[in-house]
Parts: sequence; C-alpha cells; structure tokens
Amino acid sequence: MNAPPLLQTRSLSKTYVIGDVRVEALADVTVAVGEGRFVAVIGASGSGKSTLLNLLGGLDTPTAGTIEVGGALISAMDREALARHRRHVAGMIFQSFNLIPARTALENVELPLIFAGVERAERRRRATELLDRVGLAARAAHRPSELSGGEQQRVAVARALANGPRILLADEPTGNLDSRTSREIVGLLAGLNRDRGLTVVMVTHEEGLAREHADEVVRLRDGRVVAAGGGE
Amino acid sequence: MRFGDAVGFAFTSLRKRRLRTFLTAAGVTIGIGALVCMISFGKGMQKNVTKAFKSADLFNSLMVMPGGRSEAVGDPDGPRARRAVPAGRTGAVLDDAAVAAIARTPGVVSAYPEVNFPALVGLEGEEEFRLVQVVPAAVAASPAVRVGWGRAYATDDEAGVIVSGPFARRLGVKDPAAAVGKTLRITSVSFDLGKLASLDLSKLFTGGGLPVAQESYDFPILGVTEMTAFGENGPGLGQNDVFLPPGPARGIKRLPITSVWDVFRMSEGGLGYSAVSVKLGSLRDLEAVKSKVREMGFSTFALADQFDEITKAFFFMDMILAAVGMIAIVVAALGIVNTMVMSILERFREIGVMKAVGAGDKDIRRIFFFESGAIGLLGGAAGCALGWATSLLINRIVNLYLARQGMPYIDYFAFPAWLFLGAMGFSLLVSLAAGIYPARRAARVDPVVALRHD
Repeated sequence: MNAPPLLQTRSLSKTYVIGDVRVEALADVTVAVGEGRFVAVIGASGSGKSTLLNLLGGLDTPTAGTIEVGGALISAMDREALARHRRHVAGMIFQSFNLIPARTALENVELPLIFAGVERAERRRRATELLDRVGLAARAAHRPSELSGGEQQRVAVARALANGPRILLADEPTGNLDSRTSREIVGLLAGLNRDRGLTVVMVTHEEGLAREHADEVVRLRDGRVVAAGGGE
Repeated sequence: MRFGDAVGFAFTSLRKRRLRTFLTAAGVTIGIGALVCMISFGKGMQKNVTKAFKSADLFNSLMVMPGGRSEAVGDPDGPRARRAVPAGRTGAVLDDAAVAAIARTPGVVSAYPEVNFPALVGLEGEEEFRLVQVVPAAVAASPAVRVGWGRAYATDDEAGVIVSGPFARRLGVKDPAAAVGKTLRITSVSFDLGKLASLDLSKLFTGGGLPVAQESYDFPILGVTEMTAFGENGPGLGQNDVFLPPGPARGIKRLPITSVWDVFRMSEGGLGYSAVSVKLGSLRDLEAVKSKVREMGFSTFALADQFDEITKAFFFMDMILAAVGMIAIVVAALGIVNTMVMSILERFREIGVMKAVGAGDKDIRRIFFFESGAIGLLGGAAGCALGWATSLLINRIVNLYLARQGMPYIDYFAFPAWLFLGAMGFSLLVSLAAGIYPARRAARVDPVVALRHD
C-alpha cells in the first residue's frame, strides 16, 4: 500500500502583477514528494524554482491550486498559520545564507526556537547540539562575518533544523559556494535525509549534484514541470 | 515568542544603534523633562499656597465687613464688592458691641477688629510710611503672625511692637535678630484742634492747609516676623509690617480714617471698624456663623468659600503648564515614529529572515512595539531625572537671587511620587502610540520581497 505523499501540490500557479505586466512564475504545477525523499528541483534562472520553494515553505501564497503538507492545506492558511508552518513544519535554507549579521552562530540557530516560545536554557542546549551536529560547535560564538561561506550555510542548516521540521527546503544552497564546499553542504543534506529520514526538497541549477544525491529530480521550464523522475 | 524575549530583542536592537537610540530617547527626555519641570512647578505653587493657608488657619477664618446681607463677592477690596455692598446702607455699624456680639456667636473662637492707621515708622534715622496694624496679643501669638525672632507681646497692654523681617531690612537692620530690643518710633498724624479753629476752608479743596499735627511714640521691638513669600500669614496680616497691641494703640492720637471708603462710612452715620477678623473653631461652623453675622446686617468673606475656585485655578494652571510640556512630547513622538520607520527600512531583510524562520506578524509587531516602548521608558526615566535636576537648579538659582532680597528659602517645585510614575507611564504610553504605525508596517513586510532585498 502506497503511503500518501508528505507534500502534494495540485495545479499550482503563481502570477505576479508588476505594473500592467502579468508575470506567470508558476503554471499548473503538480508534484508529490513522499516522506523521507530527497527531491531536487532544477531549471534555468527564472524557471520558477524559487517561487515553488517559497510557496512550499509558506513564505508566499499561490494564485491558484493547492499545496498540502502532512495533510494540512497550506494554500488555504492565514498568515499566522503560515508562520506556524514555517516555524514547525518546513525548515528553509537559502543561497545567501540569510543569517542575521549582528547575532552569533548560536544566536542565529536559536532564532526559530525563540519564535516557538522555547525557554532560554532549553534553546541554548538545542542550538548547541545542532551546531555540534553540523560540525560547528567550536564556532558557536562567532558572528557570520567571521565564518566562511560553507560554515555560514552549515549554521543556516542547523537553524532550519531547530524546531524539528518534517521537511527541509533548500533554495540554491550551493549557489554562493565553491565546488568542494558545495559537495560538503549537499552531502550534509543527503546525510540528514539518509540518517534521520528528513524529507529534503532542494532547488539547484547544478544538475550533477542533483542527480548524484536526489531520489527524484523535477525539472521546471518557464514555470511548468517539464520532467519528473528518479535521480542516479 | 515570550515576553522577555521580545524585550530582549528590543534592547539588543537599541544597543546596536546606540547613537540613534540616544538621540531619539533624548527627544523624549527633553519632552518628559519639560513636563516634569512644569507640573512640579505647578504642584509646588499649589503646595506652598495651600500650606500657607493651612498654617495660618485661614480656612477657619471669616472676615466680617460692614454692609448688606448680600453674599460677599470675591475680594472684599475689589471694585465689585464695593459696588455690591455700599457703605453702611443697612445702618449696621461694626463697632465694639457688634464685635462682642459676633464673638459670642456659637462656633466663634475669637473676633477682633481690623484696626490700622497710617504712620511714619522710623528706626535709627531710617523712616518709611506704613499702615500700623493693631492686633490683639492672642492673634499676635497665633500662627497668623509668625514671629521668627524675639517674641510676640504678652498682653494687649504691653508696650512693644512686632515688625516684619523685610521691613527691618528696609530700615537698615540686616540681621532680623539684631532688630529685637531696638526702639521703633511711630509718628502718627492727627487733627490739630488749634489749626482747625483757624482753618482756611478754600485751601482744603486743593489739598493744602490740612489741620493735622504729627506726634511720635517710641516702642521697643519685641519680635520680628519671618519673611512670607507666599503670603504664609495669609492675605491681610502677612502683608503688614508693623503690629501694635490694642492698649498702646489707644494712646496714639491718629486720624480715624485710612481711606476714602472710611470717609463714606463716616458720612453715612457710623464709622465703626472697616473689618472684623473672626476665628472659627471648625470649618463646619462656617455656614452657621456666616448666616448669623449676615442677620446682624454685615457682609462676610470666607476664604474657604474661595477654595474651590483656587483649586480650579491651580487645575487650569497645571493644564496650561502640561500643554506647554506636551508640545515637546509630540515632537519627541514624531522622532520615535521617524526612527522606527528608518529602523524598518534598515532591517527589512532581517524582518524577512525572521519571518522565514517562523516569526508571525504578531511577533514582528511585538518586537517593534517593544523597541519603541523601550525608547519611551529610557527617555522617560532620563526625562524624570532631567526634570528633577533642572527644577532643583532653577530652585537654587531663584532662591539665591531672592535670598539677596531677604526672602527665605522656599521650594518652588514639588515632586510627588505620582508625578514620576505618571511621567514614566505617559512616556511609555506616548512611545507605544508612536510605535503603532511602524510596528504594523513592519508586520506587513512581505518575506519574499524582504529576502530579495540587499
């Protein structure tokens, strides 16, 4: 018996109106991601990869279609429910790391725990443990500007895992990294997927990395799914 | 998000932008400082005046004046009072019998006539014209006449005077204590019967050739009163410089009139006293005594009746002072709005990040709201300190200046605890109100747009 997918989109569309111009970023996207899978979304710049990830992460709302994550209809949620989704269900990492410069690595990892209302001692403990897991225990007191690109992305991964999400959404996580570091980061994500059964959806334009680690690859072109299938 | 974390966020952010926080809070500080200063001045005035009235027992006092049964209106010396209560029209004369009758009225502790006469008062060669106030020994010993140096005269017949501290200074005695024991010369003016016989009436109309004579009397100064900057002896006695007991006063030849007002009363048939001071046992007896006295055909004036008006006047004074302070607060509030809006623009991406990791609109709103409140609290606390320090400084400068003129030290400002608590609360309230718009704007930030922002 097939288990229902953790993540399911149906006829998902997103249209931006900029002035008089309508830009169709996504059109009729239907994808399903099973629990514990590693899915890569690839496509050229402007193909709608990031838009899809923002919609899955609850950062944005679709113009049409539905998104279901773990049985919850994300596309029908109000702003506060979407915030809860981002806080507890979907962890996100970005190309530009998006760490808060004034806060240390530890404090950045603590951030989602603060919004989840976790008390100080407990969040310190959990953040320290997460930094340790991504191999940065020794860099906990450093600010992002004192860390390398790879280290910053590791902090971002630790932060994304803070509230124990069911799905990790990675938007071009290697875009600002050299190839060796890129491999390390994708390896880290793959390890989380493999060892902890964490569902990962990674947007990338590096097809090689995608095929190497992903269970499935979804290819987007001009906002539409042109191909979906297994990786290597 | 926990309350403590939101507060922590606010202070972390303010610490990060120290100069701007300082400048914005400085606006609030000045506003609250001005407000505290203004209101503490208003409260100081009120406290001093109320204290003065209470210490002189003025609320338990009643002035009885010749005149009709009509209600006394305001200041008995005011033009309205004079028009409303024409001299002696009812025929009741405020003479010794009337004073005795008033004194017998239930609830009255004492009644004594207001007697004064103009005289040239001299001390060791220095002379000035003054109204000499004839006051019984019992009143001279009461808080109404605050003898600071020496003593009050013991009996109504003791030959001695009390002078005011400032008057002693005017007559060249720098240390009031040194004036005690010196001899005061009172030179009164009276009708000269000899001149009266050969009076050239035509000269009277041009003010010349008055049939008057001067006569001097010497009295030892028994006591010197303290300076009364706020009329601490109350209106009336507090403004007098020379007090004389009734016994020696009877021996002084003097004109029976002190003003044109007396001339009118005299021509109407009976001069009597211009006023009688009545001391009541309790404020509760006021109405009963007033109606009794009016039945006798006199008019009354009680300060207690005016107290509501005085309170109202102070309330309006407070309001005006607060309104001036408010201008600075409004400017400070605009400063907070400006700073917070700037802060949103600067932290646009940070807001996006916070939203991406799970912050809700409510969390963001709270962070900015608390930040604005923290500016208000810091500014408010500093404003209270500034207002307090400025008030003390002004108080010191004013007192230094007035001390040179012989005035005693007075606290012109009062700082009730509610003033500081109220100022802090108000500062917090204003800054929170100023934070509403920026907080809502921050909460509405679209995370997708914010994360793309450089």
